[in-house]
Amino acid sequence: MRVTAAGAGVVALVAWPWVASRYFVFLASLVLVNGIVAVGLNLLSGYTHQLSFGHAGFFAIGAYTAALLTLHAAVLPVPVTLLAAGALTAVVGLAFGVPCLRLGGLYLTMATLAFGIVVSETLLNLDWLTRGADGLRVPAARLGAVTLSGDTARYYLVLAVAAAMVAAAANIVRTRTGRAFLAIRESEVAAQASGVPVAAYRTTAFGLSAFYTGVAGGLFAFVVGFLSPDAFDLFLSVDFVVMIILGGLGSVPGSLAGAAVVTLLHDGLAAFQNYRPLVFGGVLVACMLFMPGGIASALRLRASH
Amino acid sequence: MRVFLASLVAVLAVVAAQPALAEQGVSDTEIVLGCSNSFSGPLAFTGEQATRYGVDLYLKVVNDGGGIHGRKVRTVYYDDGYKPQEAVANTRKLVEQDKIFAVIAPQGTAPVAATLDYLEENRVPLLFPFQGSPITRGKKYVFSGMTLYDRQARMMVDYLAGTRKFRTFATLYQDDEYGKAFLTAFEKEFARHGSKMVAAEAVKRGATDVSAQIAKLQAARPQATFLVLTPGPGAQALKEREKIGWTDTVMVSAGPLTDERYLGLAGDAAEGVEGLSLWPDPLVSDLPGVRTYRDAMQKYFSKNEPNRYSLSGYFAAMLFTEAARRAGKTLTRDGFATALESVKSFESGILPPVSIGPDHETQKQGFWVRVEKGRFKPLTDWLKSE
Repeated sequence: MRVTAAGAGVVALVAWPWVASRYFVFLASLVLVNGIVAVGLNLLSGYTHQLSFGHAGFFAIGAYTAALLTLHAAVLPVPVTLLAAGALTAVVGLAFGVPCLRLGGLYLTMATLAFGIVVSETLLNLDWLTRGADGLRVPAARLGAVTLSGDTARYYLVLAVAAAMVAAAANIVRTRTGRAFLAIRESEVAAQASGVPVAAYRTTAFGLSAFYTGVAGGLFAFVVGFLSPDAFDLFLSVDFVVMIILGGLGSVPGSLAGAAVVTLLHDGLAAFQNYRPLVFGGVLVACMLFMPGGIASALRLRASH
Repeated sequence: MRVFLASLVAVLAVVAAQPALAEQGVSDTEIVLGCSNSFSGPLAFTGEQATRYGVDLYLKVVNDGGGIHGRKVRTVYYDDGYKPQEAVANTRKLVEQDKIFAVIAPQGTAPVAATLDYLEENRVPLLFPFQGSPITRGKKYVFSGMTLYDRQARMMVDYLAGTRKFRTFATLYQDDEYGKAFLTAFEKEFARHGSKMVAAEAVKRGATDVSAQIAKLQAARPQATFLVLTPGPGAQALKEREKIGWTDTVMVSAGPLTDERYLGLAGDAAEGVEGLSLWPDPLVSDLPGVRTYRDAMQKYFSKNEPNRYSLSGYFAAMLFTEAARRAGKTLTRDGFATALESVKSFESGILPPVSIGPDHETQKQGFWVRVEKGRFKPLTDWLKSE
C-alpha cells in the first residue's frame, strides 16, 4: 500500500509538466526548492534544537554562488555549480556554527538573525561582484551542450536534485551522524553521557543544514532568473521557520508538506503582502494550539486511529 | 507520506485546472491589464497611487463612458514590495494565470529589469514603467514611461551650464543603477559645455546619514550640487547643508526626486532649492488635463489627495486608451504596438503634445522649478530633449 502510494506520487511528480499549466510547473519548482530548504533547516532545528532565523542568508550565499559561477565559469555543468554553491555555504555554516556553540536558546536565535542581516548587507555592498541593489541576471543552467532553459527543464533539474537530497535526509538516521542526531534530539545530556560529542555534532548539523540551503539557493537562482539582496530578508527566514513548524519538527515528509503549504499560501496572497505576516502568524498560533507536532504528526495520529 | 503526496497532487491539480482564453487578455467585453508593483515596502505609497488611484482612475472614466470599442478594461495588481524575485513570480502569474493583455505601470528599476526578458520573449507589451533607467531601450514590446535618466541629465546640464552659465558641479547620488545612470550622463554632457564635476559622493541605498558626504562636497566648492536620491536621504542632505551653513551652492534635485514628499520631509531647508520637474503641479496647475484629473479624483476617490504618482498612472492609462482606440476593434498585441508607435502630437492636456516613434519613448521633457514658500514654482516652460 505504502509502496503503491509512493509510486503514484513519483509518477505524479514526473508527469507534472505534462498535466499542469506553465505557471504551475514554475510554482512546483518553487515548492521543491523550498522543500529542500525546509528539510535542511529541519536537520538543524528538528534534531539539535537550534532554531535559525538566518537561513535566508545561507540561501542567498548559495544563490549568488551558483549565479556568479554560471556567469563567469560557463563551462561548468550545473551539478558542479550546485555542489560548489552547497559546499561554500556549508563552509560558511560551519564557520558560523563554531562560535555559536557557546550560545543557546534565544542567544543563538539572535545570532542567526544577525547573520541573515549581515549577509544581505554584504551582498548589497559588494556591488562590484553582485551588482548590489540593481540585481543580477542569472543565465540559464548548462549541462554539457544542453542549456536548461524553459520551465520543464528547470523543473526536472529541481526535481532530480530534490529527490536525491530528500532521500539522503530520510536515510540519515541510518548513519552514525544520524544516530547521533537522534540521541541529541531525545536528550542532550543523555547523549553526552553516552559518549556522543554533542558540540561536534551540533556544528555538523549547522554545516549540513547550510549545505542543503545553499544547494536550494542555487536552484532558486535558476528558477527565478534574477537575484537582488532585498529578497533575502528576515521575512524569508521566518517563512522557512514557519514551514518546518507547520510541517512538523524532525519530519522529512512534514518539511515538504510545510514548504508546499507556505509556498502556495504565499502565491495565493500575492495581492495582499501587507497581510502576509498576519496570516502566517495566525497559522503559526493555530498550529501551536491545535497540532503542536505539525502536519506530520497530525497525519500520523489520524492514521493510527 | 502517502496522504501527503495524494493531497499535494489533488490540491495542485484543482488549482491548475483553469480555463484559458482564446485570445490572451482580450474578450468581446473586456481587456485585462495588470502589473506587479509596491503595495508594501519603501515605495508602497508611490505604487498604490500610480495604480489604484492613477491607472484605475482614468479607466473608471473610460469604462463609465462605454469602454474601448465596447470593451471594459479590468486591472489586476500583485504586490512585490520592491523585491525583484517577487516581481518575477507576480508577472508570471499575471501573464500565465490571469492572462493579461499587457503590463502597465510597474515600478522600480530592479523589479522591472527582472521581468524584461521574460515579457519580451513572451511578446507581452510592457507599458510605461515608473522608472527611467535606459534598460528599456531597444525592445520590441517595451514602451518607456518616465523621461529616461540620460535625457533628464542632458536637460539639467543644458539648462544650468548652457542658460545659467554654471561651470563647477558636484553630485550626491544613490549608489545603484538610478544614481549611476545620472552620474555617467552628467560627465558626458559636461564635456560639451566645458564644465566639470569637482566632486561626486555616493549614498548607499537605505542609508540615512549623509553628513560625511555633504562635508566633502562643500570642500570642493561647486556652484551647483545635483541630488540624485530618494526623498528620505534627499531631504536629509538639505537639512545637513542648512546645519553646516553651506550657502554658496545651488542644490538641484533630479526628476525622480522632485516631488511633494521630498519637499515635505525637508521642510524649511528646501527653500530656494531648484530641480527638474517631470509633471505639472497636480494640486494647483490649471492645465486642462490636470483640472480634469482633479475633477475625476474628486468624483471617484474624494478622500485621496491628488499627487504626481497618481497623475503619472492616470496619464499611462490615457496613453493606453488612445493607442487601443487607434488599434481598432480587433485588438492584438502587434496591432497595439504599431498603433502606439503611430501616436503623433497627442494632446493630453497634462504634458506637451506626445509623439511616440520607433524609439518607444513616450516622455522626453521636464521643466525647471524652484521651491518658494514650500511649493515648486516653475522657472521655465517645458524643456525638451530630442
